[in-house]
Amino acid sequence: MVKKVQALVIGAGPAGLCGSIAIAENGVEVLVVDEGLVPGGQLPKQTHKFFGHEGFFASVRGFEIGEKLYNDAVNLGVKFLMKTTVSGIYEDVIVLYDRENERIYEINADYVLIATGASERFISFKKNYLPGVYGAGAVQTLMNQYRVLPGNDFLIVGAGNIGLIVAYQLLQAGANVKAIVEASNKVGGYLVHANKVKRMGVPILLRHTIVEAIGEERVRGAVISEVDDSFNPIKGTEKELAVDTICLAVGLQPSIELAAQAGAEIKYIPELGGYVPIRDENMKTTVDNVYIAGDLASIEEASTAMIEGYIAGYNIAQKITGLDLSENISKMKKELEEFRRGPFSGKVRKGLKKFGVEFPEGGFRTEPQKDEGPAGKLRVKIECPQNIPCNPCETSCPTGAIDVGGNINGLPYVDYDKCIGCGVCVMKCPGLAIFLVQELSDYSIVGIPYEFELPEKGEKVLLLDRNGEIVGEGEIEKIVRNSKGKTHIVYLKVPKGLEDNVRHFVRHEEKEEEIVCRCEEITRSEIEKAIEEGYTDFEELRRYLRISMGPCGGRVCRLQTLSIISLKTGIPISELESGRFRPPSIPIPFKAILKGDEKDEI
Amino acid sequence: MKYKVCIIGGGIIGTAIAYFLGKLGENSVAIFEKRYLSSGATGRCGGGIRQQWSTKSNVRLAMRSVEFFKKFKEEVGMDIEYRQGGYLLLSYSEEEARQFEKNVEMQREEGLDVEILSPRMVSKRYPYINTDGLILATFCPTDGHANPHKATFGYANAAKKMGIDIYTHTEVNGIEVKNGKICGIHTSKGYFECDIVVNAAGAWSKEVGMMAGVQLPTESYRHQIFVTEPLEYFFPFMAISFSGNFYMRQALHGQFIMGQGDKDEKPGINENVTFRFEKEMARKMTKIFPFLENVRILRHWSGEYNMSPDAQPILGKSDKIDNFYYAIGFSGHGFMLAPAVGEAIAELIVFGKTIHSDISYLNTERFKKGIVQEKNVV
Ligand SMILES: Cc1cc2nc3c(=O)[nH]c(=O)nc-3n(C[C@H](O)[C@H](O)[C@H](O)COP(=O)(O)OP(=O)(O)OC[C@H]3O[C@@H](n4cnc5c(N)ncnc54)[C@H](O)[C@@H]3O)c2cc1C
Ligand SMILES: Cc1cc2nc3c(=O)[nH]c(=O)nc-3n(C[C@H](O)[C@H](O)[C@H](O)COP(=O)(O)OP(=O)(O)OC[C@H]3O[C@@H](n4cnc5c(N)ncnc54)[C@H](O)[C@@H]3O)c2cc1C
Ligand code: SF4
Ligand code: SF4
Repeated sequence: MVKKVQALVIGAGPAGLCGSIAIAENGVEVLVVDEGLVPGGQLPKQTHKFFGHEGFFASVRGFEIGEKLYNDAVNLGVKFLMKTTVSGIYEDVIVLYDRENERIYEINADYVLIATGASERFISFKKNYLPGVYGAGAVQTLMNQYRVLPGNDFLIVGAGNIGLIVAYQLLQAGANVKAIVEASNKVGGYLVHANKVKRMGVPILLRHTIVEAIGEERVRGAVISEVDDSFNPIKGTEKELAVDTICLAVGLQPSIELAAQAGAEIKYIPELGGYVPIRDENMKTTVDNVYIAGDLASIEEASTAMIEGYIAGYNIAQKITGLDLSENISKMKKELEEFRRGPFSGKVRKGLKKFGVEFPEGGFRTEPQKDEGPAGKLRVKIECPQNIPCNPCETSCPTGAIDVGGNINGLPYVDYDKCIGCGVCVMKCPGLAIFLVQELSDYSIVGIPYEFELPEKGEKVLLLDRNGEIVGEGEIEKIVRNSKGKTHIVYLKVPKGLEDNVRHFVRHEEKEEEIVCRCEEITRSEIEKAIEEGYTDFEELRRYLRISMGPCGGRVCRLQTLSIISLKTGIPISELESGRFRPPSIPIPFKAILKGDEKDEI
Repeated sequence: MKYKVCIIGGGIIGTAIAYFLGKLGENSVAIFEKRYLSSGATGRCGGGIRQQWSTKSNVRLAMRSVEFFKKFKEEVGMDIEYRQGGYLLLSYSEEEARQFEKNVEMQREEGLDVEILSPRMVSKRYPYINTDGLILATFCPTDGHANPHKATFGYANAAKKMGIDIYTHTEVNGIEVKNGKICGIHTSKGYFECDIVVNAAGAWSKEVGMMAGVQLPTESYRHQIFVTEPLEYFFPFMAISFSGNFYMRQALHGQFIMGQGDKDEKPGINENVTFRFEKEMARKMTKIFPFLENVRILRHWSGEYNMSPDAQPILGKSDKIDNFYYAIGFSGHGFMLAPAVGEAIAELIVFGKTIHSDISYLNTERFKKGIVQEKNVV
């Protein structure tokens, strides 16, 4: 029998918990389903104190926030079903898979709040398929929730907040962190986090990356190497580290499968973390009774996840009860607005604006130039946001297009009518902060200042964004050598829509070793070859090569494949068909379905 | 832009027709596909290739197709994972069992090698099948299965090599008819003049007919299907039952692909899936194939059967518009018939008549004389 609930919340992270509280506060029956062992989503893994806003638990430890929210929800009568995965939102019912009892439940809900959070991204390096290579989230779960260490000697890849925090937690748990490698030239995370691990003797190797995992059956070590400004490994600088575990902390992507199955329209918005469901300011998707909140809506923070949860929850409660909750809703919207004013929310604001949800900004002193110039014209992009005493850009420009604003400390502005795209300023800028950008009909060009051993024209490279994260695949379009200075310009062919993201690239060697689809072991060169043979849709490649036909359902390889297609065909990722997201979201045994037939109380 | 023949639909049927046209030397041909190749029923189907039919004509078309599937790799140039592992037809009703015996007699007359198996023989031969309730089974060792995507890509690539153009992501949204003749088609990429239009639009056959002002007696119904995680390959044949309402086979990669028909589907296009389907299948299939119990379902999808009134395809020329051809209404068995149909339609276009297969009894005229239902369908 199918059970019916008024409101179903999927995911008991901060977003889902706050959503369930807002709904239950108004006397509505709520069921929260989560596949984790304990409620709280990312929170129980976090033993550090949180940043943010006092009203939303700043300086409380993550797991404590989770416990507090959970208790509040339980006191309001919210029902929880843990260790249970929502395995599919079908046309007729929503299916829950109870892993422990190996059985399913079927339910129907008047309203659904999906708050499934995000999953981790991976990067390619040689032998990245070896057991012993983990995502940071998995390491945290094992360590902080299951109390097992997946290894003794760790290498951490990525010095963003997550990488830094995981390193610290590993040290707390008694493990060795041999190094944190970070390809870019500065720590991406907060310095306080970095200083914590530094204090304990963990080297943060900036401009370093992992190039290979060592081992036959499992990881026995890692080869790291220095990289140059374009994140190319510098030959001769390779070092072997004896580690048994490699922990990747290179970013997150929203877990949108269920929202997609529910029929919510999905859009590719890199600023929000990749594919996200379109939603309005009330967190409602394009499906009337389906709401979302948290990292699923945009990769952000626990604090914004909580507020979004409240907004979604109050809206659902309002719809179900007919009560006027507009005061609560606008109070939460105001909170969110305040949170998102700062410079760290710039990406999210920009991403949200793409579907018409606008957030104001302000309150930070230096205003870099916003006008990005006329699309289609080859022009400069100056990324020099701090007030530094520097003006070679202004003095070198032959047409007088750049003006640093009276004082040498000012932020440079470009007059796009005057800029002829000559690249002189790009080669002159000591900060390597000037790029050339041009949107063409099939792809875009990004010119990058480059001071190291030059790549070959036509060479395929992995494109990196400002954080050193891989955003796609590119090709060297041309190279302008600077015979006097050492700064050359490398022009990259990048997928349309990524011209604003791509700021570096990595060269890759021995392409065959890099596996894009891990379930079916499909390499990038196989994909490229198939695209050359004319299989230019994700679904065609899926059918021809079996990409993403394995148990992961494409979580790992979909985006990488799409960017390879985009580059080869000139179609922006946002215009490619992303392929269907089919249930079940995780493999379900026949046995569990049969058991689900037997009795029906949840 | 002008082509002699414009084919609407980039499924197995449209690409097969294009391929055979090319082979007959006609390469002023274009395929128009609104999404990507094999995006329709073809890419969603079970891939079964069966010759055990209840009507002579279907048996012949299927046997002709098998001739082509056997040499696909050499002639068309793509490995389509074709295996002649046989088809095991399982009957759970007395009436159907008697019909099967008659069918086998007819099938043997047509030169098909078919065995009749008692439940005991079935359990002896296939100890992993539970034969409770089984009355009789038939087995044809030359039946089989193939990968439908690869077959479509195979035909498409070969057609392209012969100079045929394929427009994907190009929707046909109008057919220009003047004085009872088609003179061109309107598409999302502009207007194309042509001498002949072939409707191979699968689930959308009726809509395409309407574009030329012709009412076609086809309706589309959703059929669901799912695939499990891989097991070691041991199940080389397709197991199918009309009275039991299921079919199942194991792909070469090891996954089991299975489905059933749903009684209360409404006509129309529906890409969603229901959990009820998984439940009904789980109950039924674990009983007959107990080894499935611990196997996990990986992915569940759906596609459309384009049904004709007698569950047989509608092939040939329109009786209203002289230069409008149909290859539609395949009623859930269009993949297996595609080579013979592609050949026949191409011959009809190039020579004005078919040479290797008689398809005259499959034109729209037949419905005026009353309907003789093909019974061997899920
Ligand atoms: C190491 C680390 C440190 C952080 N530090 C901070 C910080 O200091 N300050 C801050 O504000 N933020 C911080 N964050 C970010 C914050 O944790 C996240 O933004 C926040 O947890 C997102 O909340 P959420 O509810 O959207 O998703 P999550 O917390 O990820 O919760 C999603 C839940 O959904 C469940 N789920 C998913 N799919 C299914 C399914 N199909 N069926 C059932 N359940 C499902 C999951 O099990 C999970 O419990 C940190 C994150 C990490 C990883
Ligand atoms: C679940 C399932 C299982 C099946 N199992 C089997 C099996 O085991 N064996 C077997 O032989 N058959 C099977 N079938 C049936 C088989 O899939 C079909 O009969 C066959 O694929 C039909 O091919 P087609 O080319 O006519 O149609 P399709 O593959 O549907 O191709 C038609 C194409 O036309 C395109 N189109 C439509 N309208 C327009 C337009 N206006 N402009 C441009 N393009 C247009 C569509 O996008 C589509 O790609 C099954 C079907 C389903 C749904
Ligand atoms: S590219 Fe040339 S014209 Fe444009 S700002 Fe730089 S120096 Fe001036
Ligand atoms: S870094 Fe470059 S753009 Fe910035 S002020 Fe210096 S020279 Fe000008």
